[in-house]
Amino acid sequence: MRRTRFLAGRLVSMLAVLVVISLLTYAVFFLLPSDPAQMSCGKPCTPDGLAQASAFMGFDKPWWQQYLDFVAGIFRGRSFGRGPAAVHCSAPCFGYSFQLNQPVTQLIWARIPVTFSIAIGAAALWLVLGVSLGVLAAVRKGTAIDRSAMAFAVAGVSAPVYLLGLLGILLFGFTLDLVPVSGYVPLTESPVDWAWHLVLPWCVLALFTSAVYARLTRGQMLEVLEEDYIRTARAKGLTERKVVGWHALRNVLIPVVTVFGSDLGQLLGGAIITERVFSMQGLGSLLLQAVGTGDLPLVLGTVLFSAFLVVLANFAVDVVYGALDPRVSETSG
Amino acid sequence: MSRRPSLSVAAVAVAAALALTACNANSDSDTAGQSTTSSTQKGGELTILTSSSTVTLDPAKSSNLAITTLGLFNRRLTSWEIEPGKTAQAVPDLATDTGTPSDDGKTWTYHLKSGLKFSDGSPITSQDVKYGVERSFAPELSGGLGYHKSLLEDGEKYQGPYTDGDLDSIETPDDTTIVFHLNVSYGDWPWIVSMPAFSPVPKSADAKPQEYGQHPVSSGPYQVDSYKEGSTLSLSRNPNWDQSTDEVRTAGPDKITFQLGQDDTVAAQKLIADSGDDKNAFQASFVPPAQLSQIQSNADAKSRLVTSDAGALAYLAINVKHKPLDDLKVRQALEYAVDKKAFQIAVGGSIGGEPATTLITPGIAGRQDYDLYPAGESGDVDKAKQLLADAGNPKLSLTLLVESDPVEVLKAQAIQQGLKRAGIEVTIKSEESDAWYADVTSDKGDYDLALASWQPDFPSANGNIQPLFASSEIGGGGFNLSRYSEPEVDDLIQQASAATDPAQAEKLWAQADKRILQDAPVVPLLFKKNSFLHGSNVQNFFVTPFPAYPNYLKVSLSK
Repeated sequence: MRRTRFLAGRLVSMLAVLVVISLLTYAVFFLLPSDPAQMSCGKPCTPDGLAQASAFMGFDKPWWQQYLDFVAGIFRGRSFGRGPAAVHCSAPCFGYSFQLNQPVTQLIWARIPVTFSIAIGAAALWLVLGVSLGVLAAVRKGTAIDRSAMAFAVAGVSAPVYLLGLLGILLFGFTLDLVPVSGYVPLTESPVDWAWHLVLPWCVLALFTSAVYARLTRGQMLEVLEEDYIRTARAKGLTERKVVGWHALRNVLIPVVTVFGSDLGQLLGGAIITERVFSMQGLGSLLLQAVGTGDLPLVLGTVLFSAFLVVLANFAVDVVYGALDPRVSETSG
Repeated sequence: MSRRPSLSVAAVAVAAALALTACNANSDSDTAGQSTTSSTQKGGELTILTSSSTVTLDPAKSSNLAITTLGLFNRRLTSWEIEPGKTAQAVPDLATDTGTPSDDGKTWTYHLKSGLKFSDGSPITSQDVKYGVERSFAPELSGGLGYHKSLLEDGEKYQGPYTDGDLDSIETPDDTTIVFHLNVSYGDWPWIVSMPAFSPVPKSADAKPQEYGQHPVSSGPYQVDSYKEGSTLSLSRNPNWDQSTDEVRTAGPDKITFQLGQDDTVAAQKLIADSGDDKNAFQASFVPPAQLSQIQSNADAKSRLVTSDAGALAYLAINVKHKPLDDLKVRQALEYAVDKKAFQIAVGGSIGGEPATTLITPGIAGRQDYDLYPAGESGDVDKAKQLLADAGNPKLSLTLLVESDPVEVLKAQAIQQGLKRAGIEVTIKSEESDAWYADVTSDKGDYDLALASWQPDFPSANGNIQPLFASSEIGGGGFNLSRYSEPEVDDLIQQASAATDPAQAEKLWAQADKRILQDAPVVPLLFKKNSFLHGSNVQNFFVTPFPAYPNYLKVSLSK
């Protein structure tokens, strides 16, 4: 019962966050001096032509009216223009990109496999790598293993993804000619090629992020290993492997899961730099492109979707949290 | 190419050249890597690497140059002949000639060649061309090059065939004849009909106009196999295209694949490495700065780098409506005080461009070279001071509006330091490019100076002069950034546009060029250069001053 109430409360606040974000995105765009109709007006852009384009796209209405149209479109779809040339955007319509001539929903849908492939693979890799390194460093505290693991962590945290990415491409792609340097192959086309094209981006992202996890896990583990219940577990005669791997790790993972949730959520919303460096057209490059060309409907759609993922990831974290530590949903329900 | 897109393109070009400032300011001759044309070998699979992640395939919405992507599968009434060492020319494409004007220059008649077919085997008729033009008027299909819209009679009111039926000013007396009735006499109409909207579109294939662009019917040597936004555009041969009817396309490769959304740095690296399939590729985006300097020490890559001759004009617009810039002497002082050498260094030295003293860009017929304000490369400060003294030494504290791109700001600083030598204070105001564009084209015009660049959409001096200096182009979205209004010049522009005899038109445009600079509304700074890289099997790859872009229609592969 409490658990259900806890989850319902979280859902409501999720929705509220999304509404606020979409309103803010709209407001920001309307404060900018640029006119989204300008980009679709053609050349030369006469005042008449601009007015026509603006009316067709609905940008001539007041901002709040446009926002309401947008929200209505999510539930019942929208049409722009008239006659056989009119643009139809069926529900759920998260806007229509007039520059790319496609509904935003469709554009996002088409990019999801790329970004999710990058994000999920990299996340799995960095979670395993980061946590193992952290545990290892904590257990072997003060030894050479600990010091080299932490040196790796500092190096990983300090190196920006674009630098690692380009260095990786230069070394493994061009010099050693081991892996492809760019492009994405759909999983359905060839699973082997899919993975082969993704190895480098996964490693680059994982290298960077696992460093954070290694540090976090190490610190957390050292703290937990000092706890009374660990001493009790040891006193019971459990093997060190069981003590660390079961009793300690479970508690260490709580903060790790929190960070992991929001990291993964963000990454699913688009790994902008990684996608750019490896010429993979995911959600990140879609957003970048939309901002660069002043494509308001597309910016709004991608921002909202990314926000949705982050919010959803946080929601998932809350759920997992509850499973790892039942006190969470008991107290905050 | 003009207006907004060219501005950002220009910024990239300049960024590309920047890295060379320190080490290579004087290297590279004008003809570096300009591969010569050779006979076209057939076969092979050409790859084109581009940073754009989308291609607009609907001709009504396209603003492609006649010699790039859409030119491969959409023929128009006329096309461009772009050859190394020659000025650009309008040449017949679907039509038998570049058009026959009536005596008053308001009616243009074209006849289609015989034996023209669409990719589905059906014949191309004049009705298909008319329909293609008509649909470009629909607001639902806006976004393309629309110079014809205000020129065709009743074009202002017409909103496309879907709601308004036929456009009466386009007549098709028979299947091979098409007649255009214009509002005014217009000598550059042969250029206008080379634009994407003048490609034939069969009405039967346009049941869903918004989806036409996903599977356009081809009239050129290639047809669209597949298009995946953000990924690839694949073209293969159109079996119904007949080489004997087409003088502008050589159709060398069997297949052409556009790799979309490529990172410029990685794409350039691939071409420098030149291994495997990359031998058959070229990069449609400018070579980035780091790779440009890397190529200088790599003889193999350098032989595959093609830098255009000087093309698009970079200039300093002077707002003639603002005091004391309304005084001709003050503006002339600016002409002398500017340091063009410093400006050139800011764009990367001679690989970035050549100093300019005129308005019409190189590569365009009728251009005449002259220098009204001879001041040497670095300016003539004494002369500038003298002119300012003659003007009564007004206090000069000017704002310079630029885009907030690092290279733009660097260029602005070169201007600022040059003018400072003559005691002119310049405050640089940089704005995000959308805001900059909105401000310089607004009715208000709240700036003294602005940095801009210009490449016309079609290779006529008309495209250089009219958009920048006609009084009708002040504010309201127009690009007359100097807000220059001179009845004598408007009159010259009107006469030159109306002239249907090219030789006469060229003479008038050259006259307008000089007449405008007598009033010094702008300081011409530089004719810019663009650099491109291609793989070792790519042949017939050249970049002429106009449009300073490779001619896709001629590129072929060696066996």
